Amino acid sequence: MFLTLQDNDKRPIYQQITDGIKDLIARGELREGMTLPSVRQVAGDLGVNLNTVAVAYRQLQDEGFVTVRHGAGAVISSRSPHPVNQAELYKPLHTALTELVLRGLSGREIVEAVREQLAQLQQKGATR
Amino acid sequence: MSAPSEVGIYIFTICLLVTVLTYALVKYLWNQPLQNGPGYFLGIEVPAGFYEGAGRRWMTGYHATLAVFYLVWAVALGAIVLTRRWDMTPLWAGGFAILLVPAMLGFEAWARHKLGADPPVRPVALALESRRLSDYISWPAEALAVALVGFSWWLLLRHGGKHFDWLTPLTLSWGALGLIPGKMAMVRVSWPLPAERAEEHYRFQDAARRYWIRVSGIFFEWFMVVVLLSGALIHALSPMRPAPMWRWLALASCFAVWGYGMIAMFRGQQQLKAMGGDLRPPGSWKTPFGRSSCFGRGRAFQIWFAIWFGGILAFIVYPLCKARF
Repeated sequence: MFLTLQDNDKRPIYQQITDGIKDLIARGELREGMTLPSVRQVAGDLGVNLNTVAVAYRQLQDEGFVTVRHGAGAVISSRSPHPVNQAELYKPLHTALTELVLRGLSGREIVEAVREQLAQLQQKGATR
Repeated sequence: MSAPSEVGIYIFTICLLVTVLTYALVKYLWNQPLQNGPGYFLGIEVPAGFYEGAGRRWMTGYHATLAVFYLVWAVALGAIVLTRRWDMTPLWAGGFAILLVPAMLGFEAWARHKLGADPPVRPVALALESRRLSDYISWPAEALAVALVGFSWWLLLRHGGKHFDWLTPLTLSWGALGLIPGKMAMVRVSWPLPAERAEEHYRFQDAARRYWIRVSGIFFEWFMVVVLLSGALIHALSPMRPAPMWRWLALASCFAVWGYGMIAMFRGQQQLKAMGGDLRPPGSWKTPFGRSSCFGRGRAFQIWFAIWFGGILAFIVYPLCKARF
């Protein structure tokens, strides 16, 4: 199982790692109980600072996607992380929708795009 | 049945090494720079037409380095045969291996420094599989090696005596036990993965990692453990005048481990070639994120190698200096 990282991506590396792991959890490729490689291994493989990876893992832990167990490393938690209120949950969706509206997409096109993305996510998850 | 004579063992060792190392030179070493095709020199990406221009000089330099090594090795062998100093055979055999490996690594580092643009791989893939030490290293086997070394020392300390040469068992123990942290460092070694054909690159890197851990384990750990244990047993049993069969058995054990190592090495090379024949060699790129070590080898590996290899060299050089001054 692989994450793809781009050096020309506007997001910082730790954010790419966090988003990539969340994406794999959403698709069902990373399932509950699976262990992530150690911070040292990831930092060595990518050639980045240990802190960069540690920040990514800490963010995932704070959001409830992974549990860090002493000696066992970072373990994927269930797909239902810490409960968050609805407003907070929809905030990224609102930001993404705003972006699409500002780019001139019609309501129908946006709904179609959301359906397509969701189908892709569920399809990949179902094939696992 | 008479016990094997010391001279006989040395002559047999010489014949075996000459055959195997000549085979290695012809089959693998001579054309090593071209193992990844004409687009690469020792795994370093080179421009098209390189071998019509500057590449010729590099090939000549590589062949000259190899030829000098083999020539010095042959001259040293000639000196041993002419002077009948058969006891110098271990130094001749070990010295070749100990000097050739760092010399070739040094040549590769120099070539990489001079030729290697090492373009960063874009985009880069990150494998989410944990590399646990126990997936690569058998801890019961390591415990057995430590126990055998301990047992050998127990025998030697009981039967060593005042005039015993402690340096040889010390060197063998350093080489064998020192490899355990080396194996742990090898597990950590990795190269950045290109997103394209990431799975194949990952499998190839993993196979290469396992190959190096296995081959170095046979040659530098188990071979040294068996030599140490055989020597300690024979030394401990010598007052009882053991049957010649025991000496033959000890000798056969040492050669069996060495032979097994050679087979593992040649077969492993073939398997790696089959796996990664059409893949870009791992060292021909770097990570796009800046910090990337030469060869992809981790810093822990480099520190370990410097200490371990430095120790072996010190054990070899020390008696020579002591005898001279």
